[in-house]
Amino acid sequence: MINFSYIWNRYKIQFAIFFIFISFWLVFLILNPSAFLNLNTYTAIASYLPFSVIPALSLTYIMICGEIDLSFPSVMALASFVLAVTWKSMGGAHIIGVILALLAGLIAGLLNGVLVTKAKIPSMIATLATMFFWRGVVLVSSQGFGIPLGEFKGTVTYDFFVGRVFSFIPAQAIWMLIFTTLLWLILNRHIFGAHVYFTGDNRIAAEYMGINTRKILITVFALHGVISAFAGMLATLEMATFWPALGEAYLMKSIAIVVIGGTSIFGGSGTIIGTLIGGLTLGLIEMGLLAVGVAGFWINLVYGTIIIIALILQTVIRETEMKKALKEKIG
Amino acid sequence: MSIKARPKYIVETRNLIKRFGDVVALRGVNFKVGSNEVVGLVGDNGAGKSTLVKVITGTYAPDGGEIYVKGIRFKRLTPRKARELGIEIVHQERTIAENQSLWRNVFMGRELKGPLGFLRINEMKEITTKLLREMGFKSDISPEKLAKTLSGGYKQGVQISRAVYFRADLVILDEPTIQLSLKEVSKVLEFVKMLKKENKSCIFISHNIYHVYPVADKITIMDKGRIVAEFKKEDLTIDELSEVLMEVAETGDVPPRFKKLSTIPVTST
Repeated sequence: MINFSYIWNRYKIQFAIFFIFISFWLVFLILNPSAFLNLNTYTAIASYLPFSVIPALSLTYIMICGEIDLSFPSVMALASFVLAVTWKSMGGAHIIGVILALLAGLIAGLLNGVLVTKAKIPSMIATLATMFFWRGVVLVSSQGFGIPLGEFKGTVTYDFFVGRVFSFIPAQAIWMLIFTTLLWLILNRHIFGAHVYFTGDNRIAAEYMGINTRKILITVFALHGVISAFAGMLATLEMATFWPALGEAYLMKSIAIVVIGGTSIFGGSGTIIGTLIGGLTLGLIEMGLLAVGVAGFWINLVYGTIIIIALILQTVIRETEMKKALKEKIG
Repeated sequence: MSIKARPKYIVETRNLIKRFGDVVALRGVNFKVGSNEVVGLVGDNGAGKSTLVKVITGTYAPDGGEIYVKGIRFKRLTPRKARELGIEIVHQERTIAENQSLWRNVFMGRELKGPLGFLRINEMKEITTKLLREMGFKSDISPEKLAKTLSGGYKQGVQISRAVYFRADLVILDEPTIQLSLKEVSKVLEFVKMLKKENKSCIFISHNIYHVYPVADKITIMDKGRIVAEFKKEDLTIDELSEVLMEVAETGDVPPRFKKLSTIPVTST
């Protein structure tokens, strides 16, 4: 038997976000029915949205741990650079390029994890440093030049990442759903996910109960590094060009997606589904504003407003919950 | 049917000494907890109560003396070893993750898992439901409830339930009633009675003898790093106990007329 009142109580914030999502969709549908009844609109959203949503999914883990990562856009660029250089020098879309790129992401993630847990640098500062560091590595190595990758289009490896399934579903959207499922499964159904929550919720208690929170943190940062590397490759291949500034646009967007998705910046609570819905909401708004003919300059303004509304909504929901709990305690 | 020889004491310390630099926190402490016995450990601030239990739970290594757990002799314990031996400590709301459900809290760090490390969620929920009923939680408290929605007394209850489930033989409660309302205190005392019923032993540390006395079998009084006296509950009324404690705090000595009631030779500090 499904306990609806329980589901409602537990996922109020996610329902609220979903409600925002649906209401925006309805507004856009009314304002520009021709665009929002057209499949191409959704194919367009599905082709660029995964680049910011996929890193946001693993960033959710980091934020549930009560930490932050600012370096992942640079890691996306680093991985893409490794991929582009390897493919160019090998003269083909070889799987080794992919492995090396993921490895670069793993190393960058591990470094973040070690800086935070062993050197005890607050993650905000540690990843600010590695953000500059890896961007610097990419800029120095590439000398600021892009690397065109159009010649590899149509190969199996290429289509594996960003091809079109049934000639209209972008493969990266499928990847987004695969990562969502996988990360949801680990977070909610696996012992690792349980320990991620405890690490963010009450680190002293977790340690006391025998959970190695340092190991959890390092693993979470490493995971985020690898997944960011993957997302970086997707973005590069979709554009068919490596460019050294890759990822810079996604930093604030991905953090915004996680926050809109209901993950607490204080750690201990958050959901993968919330992040996905948060991502869809932001993607839809961006596309919607363009489709109804609002100039691109407005997008940041609208983002800011949405984030504030979403956060106020979450605070209101949490406060009413706490008040209710307090009443129960006294009563 | 074979009867396993049960050691008389679940924990016994002999001549336990602990120093912190020049400060001697424990001066040859001989402390005993019998099986299925609730020991009230009372005494003023700095008497050494917390130091004593931290040695027993393995947080501190003693500088001298021995610890016997179920008859096995140890020079020192580690927290892990202590837990393996069935000693659990319940701190004031310390091992509760507020934003997690009760079943997750009960199994924190010791989750039941199946192949590949996936959680056996239904099993853990069922066990938690049963456990909470057994421990006398209200029936509307479901295992899905988040810990932060519980009152302080129930949070203590969750920690005590956890100790019961993981087959602790000795549950140590370090000031479990501090900062709790009257109603909450009575809830915690109910949990201690449940422990007794579940055939566990318990060390109940408190400043407040009015909390300890109703549930304890034995009252051990500490002062300045020593155990000064030990009384069976039936030998002393709560007012007499209060009198003894006041006297010990002021003069470091047990009033003469109570000395012969103590189950151990009375020492003065």
